[in-house]
Amino acid sequence: MAKGVLVDIPKCIGCESCSVACKLWNELEWDEQEKNKTAIDRAKEPNNGLWPEEWTSINRYDLEKDGESVARYVKAQCMHCEDPACVSSCFSKAFQKLPEGPVIYDQSLCVGCRYCMMACPFDVLRYEWKKAIPGVRKCQMCATRVANNQETACTSVCPTGAIIFGDRDQLLAEAKKRIKENGYVDRVFGEKEAGGTSWLYISDTPFEQMRFRTDVTTKPLPSYTEGYMKATPFVGVGWAAILAGLYVFNNKGKEPLD
Amino acid sequence: MELVTTVVSRAGAKMSSVRWKFRMTPMRWVFTGIAAAAIAVILVRFVLGLGATTNLNDQWPWGLWISFDVLLGVALAGGGYGTALIVYVLRRDKFYPIARSAMLTSLLGYIVVVLGLLIEVGQWFNFWRPYVSWGHASVLFEVFWCISCYTVIQILEFCEVGTEKVFKGAHKYLKKAMPVMLIIGITLPTLHQSSLGQLFYLMVGKVNPLWWTAFLPVFFLLSSFFVGAGMIVIESTLAGKALNHKVEIPVLRGLVKISAGAMILYLMLKITDMVVRGTFANAFAFDLPSIMFLSELFFGVIIPIIIAFSSLSSTRKGLIWFGILTVSGVIMNRFDVLFTGMGKYLNQYGGSYVPAVSEFIVSLGLVSIACLAYLFLAENFNIMGNHESEHADDITIKDGKYASTAK
Amino acid sequence: MASKVGRVKSLSRRSFLKFVGGASLVGVTLNLTGCGKPITPDKAIGGNGWMPTQYNAPGNWPTSVRGRVPIDPENPAIVRDDQKCILCGQCIEVCEKIQSVFGNYELPIKKEFVCVNCGQCIQWCPSGAISERDDVNKVFKALADPNVTVVVQTAPATRIGLGEEFGMPVGTNVQGKQVAALRKLGFDVVFDTNFTADLTIMEEGTELVKRVTGELHHPIPQMTSCCPGWVKFVEYFYPELIPNLSSAKSPQQMEGALIKTYFAEKKEVDPKKIFSVAIMPCTAKKFECQRPEMNSASKELNDSKVSPDVDVVLTTRELARMIKRSGIDFASLPEEEYDKLMGTGTGAGVIFGTTGGVMEAAVRSAYYLITGQQPPAALWNLTPVRGMQGVKEAAVNIPGVGDVKVAVISGLANARKVMDQMKAGHAPWAFMEIMACPGGCEYGGGQPRASSPPSDEDRNRRAASLYNIDAKAKLRNSHDNPEIKQIYADFLTAPMSEKAEELLHTHYVSRADDFIPKKSEENKLY
Repeated sequence: MAKGVLVDIPKCIGCESCSVACKLWNELEWDEQEKNKTAIDRAKEPNNGLWPEEWTSINRYDLEKDGESVARYVKAQCMHCEDPACVSSCFSKAFQKLPEGPVIYDQSLCVGCRYCMMACPFDVLRYEWKKAIPGVRKCQMCATRVANNQETACTSVCPTGAIIFGDRDQLLAEAKKRIKENGYVDRVFGEKEAGGTSWLYISDTPFEQMRFRTDVTTKPLPSYTEGYMKATPFVGVGWAAILAGLYVFNNKGKEPLD
Repeated sequence: MELVTTVVSRAGAKMSSVRWKFRMTPMRWVFTGIAAAAIAVILVRFVLGLGATTNLNDQWPWGLWISFDVLLGVALAGGGYGTALIVYVLRRDKFYPIARSAMLTSLLGYIVVVLGLLIEVGQWFNFWRPYVSWGHASVLFEVFWCISCYTVIQILEFCEVGTEKVFKGAHKYLKKAMPVMLIIGITLPTLHQSSLGQLFYLMVGKVNPLWWTAFLPVFFLLSSFFVGAGMIVIESTLAGKALNHKVEIPVLRGLVKISAGAMILYLMLKITDMVVRGTFANAFAFDLPSIMFLSELFFGVIIPIIIAFSSLSSTRKGLIWFGILTVSGVIMNRFDVLFTGMGKYLNQYGGSYVPAVSEFIVSLGLVSIACLAYLFLAENFNIMGNHESEHADDITIKDGKYASTAK
Repeated sequence: MASKVGRVKSLSRRSFLKFVGGASLVGVTLNLTGCGKPITPDKAIGGNGWMPTQYNAPGNWPTSVRGRVPIDPENPAIVRDDQKCILCGQCIEVCEKIQSVFGNYELPIKKEFVCVNCGQCIQWCPSGAISERDDVNKVFKALADPNVTVVVQTAPATRIGLGEEFGMPVGTNVQGKQVAALRKLGFDVVFDTNFTADLTIMEEGTELVKRVTGELHHPIPQMTSCCPGWVKFVEYFYPELIPNLSSAKSPQQMEGALIKTYFAEKKEVDPKKIFSVAIMPCTAKKFECQRPEMNSASKELNDSKVSPDVDVVLTTRELARMIKRSGIDFASLPEEEYDKLMGTGTGAGVIFGTTGGVMEAAVRSAYYLITGQQPPAALWNLTPVRGMQGVKEAAVNIPGVGDVKVAVISGLANARKVMDQMKAGHAPWAFMEIMACPGGCEYGGGQPRASSPPSDEDRNRRAASLYNIDAKAKLRNSHDNPEIKQIYADFLTAPMSEKAEELLHTHYVSRADDFIPKKSEENKLY
């Protein structure tokens, strides 16, 4: 059963337990500069709070809602697409989507071309630019835990239930229920975006005001190049055959060139 | 060749009959200087990483190196396969004089690209991974295989030339293998030239609709084909000056006309594409992308077409302009797809990328290395048509400006 | 070249194809035999199950890992070092269960984190991740400035806490050493907040009498307002009970206002050049001194250049840090006396530092204010309001009034229960003392962190020390304080005079709009 996480944005109180849990579980290093950033700072920076050692971040958006200014805390991390662009874009198969849901990355296979970063529809991949031997970094959705029937580190410590772990199907139903009950924006971000993602977001404030890529395609990203790649061998062989034919035809009875 | 200061050196002691020579001109010293600076930067890059030597960041994981070295380098080097197609497969024998030099440029271009890639990727020592760990869903997988195989093929093709001078015993085998190599050597680049375009097709919604289209592979393929003529014109002009060897105008003109034919097809497809996707409004919005897009088409395609089919192409000046415009147009196109095309998206939350000086140095350095290699090879092997390889040497002897070691 | 063609055998093409085929086969074989096999979760980066070092071995999450309270980066009193946090959930435990703040609002949150700045989370945090906002450098800077007169006041409870920071037994009274240390650090004038504690009793007691007699149209019971955590709690959750809060400022703010007016006037110091520091057992005091209402001196003197009444609040821990950083050998310091003018406190003032103390002090003086006579000795040991129970009740017989019912509460969860009763109409008391922290100031958020988790044992020891000071004090009633008499004679005229109202009283604001109130217990979202 494919697992997922439901993020109920209005329920997040910004305690950042999740990002600390991520650090602890994944043994990510602390950086003095990143540590001292606030959720407001992170929401404004190009990296969205995600760095090689920060796989998840809580970002604060100050918005207007019903004429009142409100703050919303949004957790950012890899969305774990159902059919991920990073997996299809990797020419050395360093990425993989597990049947349980996580999209994982094995640095030992990585060449470092960073096509995955260009391809990612949610721009969550980060590169260790400062290292001589760098790798791509992103949330692995606690793959070993999930494979072991445990929930992700971040969801296990959320004190308000703003992020809950479960079967994606059930979470989707729960999300729709909550949208109806609480008068949220009628959209489960991640249901169809990029062909669906393991992480689902619901919100009472417009997604586009919280740095969600609301205009992202609903088709799975790999479908954009699938046909091309499948056709390639045939095109290649066909083209070579045509060239061979032309070569033979044009060279008939002629002195070969050097 | 007034300024020539000639260094004649002896190398390859085992084959005392072989003469290697390389004349250092001021321009070549400049190339050497840039190359040395580039090598220094490259060393720093390997020790300290990409962050220390580039301005690349998480918003701009691809920058100057990949666009210059790969997207552009490959396109510019692509002239080789087009010439091979015209000369060897279609047997338009009048273009034979430029075949070898075009293919040499292509080979050097590809070697530079491969070197550039090794510097550009993070875990360069893992470059072989895709050979065994097949990410076959990736367009880059195809590009990788095609580029690496094609580079090998090109080296073999060049060996056919090389063995005229050294390891002569292998020549006959290579010569026999040439037809196969030629056909593979045309198939592979056509596949990966188009794939380089297809790379960007995955970045749905990130690339400006002016460039992001299902026709991307076709556009990349066609432009890599027609830029070949432009490159050959420029290259033969430059090489002609440096090596005192000129390609006849009718040959170049014919080539330019073929190229312009491809341009017309390209232009028609572009217009069709715009009609189908309704991007005329974007094209004539006269914001930065629109201006870039229009000038890329106007100066890089339309004017060259006019030059090619007018009397202008019968003059050397006209041809040079054709070359400059075409090559600039394709350079612009490749940069546009990445920088102009994706700039708005990648910078939307304050990201920014301006290539670092060190990035420029490396890119220029790689080009310098290629130029030096070209000059060396052109002086020592039979590249410039069926002239004697010592021909440049003879001329300078007449000028009497250097001391040459005797044969 | 062309001439050599004839000699070439047809072998090369085949061998080339063989080479290509062979290479492909090798690739396919490698692909199948391992190099290209699917990645398993253990190959993924990260996720090694590393645990905080205190658990000492990699493994799974212990069951107690359960998150933490939110702390606003702008919080004036409390900061957290994420790097030290182990997500044990102790802060949530104390904030939600003991202080009834966390989780007592509906989600979503509106704008700010609901926090009363009490700092109990600091006391409970086992890894030292949560701490007070460090203002030590501001004070060092002021001390280094020769043009600035740095005046310091020390709260009742710091004297029985500070010693613990230097290895002394829990509850050791280091009043004299503390004064000596402050002088040694370079503070120009050292005052005792006990003085304004006595003053508070005079103001608050007078207010209470006026409420009871109907002279002042404010509801009964009157509730104490010396605890800024409690005040903020009322402003958040019980804005309708704000009228019940005494309008008297806390002793800290009274002292601060008087330092920049009374002291400045008496000692002829430019109030603009006074830097007023308060050493407090409390983190909420850091918030309190920044409240916009707390600049009475500036208002009184009509000079906007006079800084807030209290410029910086340091916790007991911060003072200890200052002493340590300056290399002062605390244990060997001599006992010194507070400066005069506002440095004399009574036994009634010092027991402000523990739960029930304010009540006891108030009862002693209320007896005097109502009857005009000194309280009987029984009121010097008002046992029903002593001890660590969360809610204590007592009835004090005051001649002429009869039995006056009072309540003493510490810990905000206890307060919440009583407030809910009050809202329901059950409020038989005339006067209520409420302290945010369980046990009162002596175990406030700014007191030294005990090596063991907060316990009543430590609280009792600290409280006993305070009661001991009271028992040994020459003066045990606030109204007997000679400096109090002097200030009313020289400066304030009388309790609740116009000037006293100006400088010593304040008003409160409802913070009910900062969050969505809890709908009902059943509707608990989390």
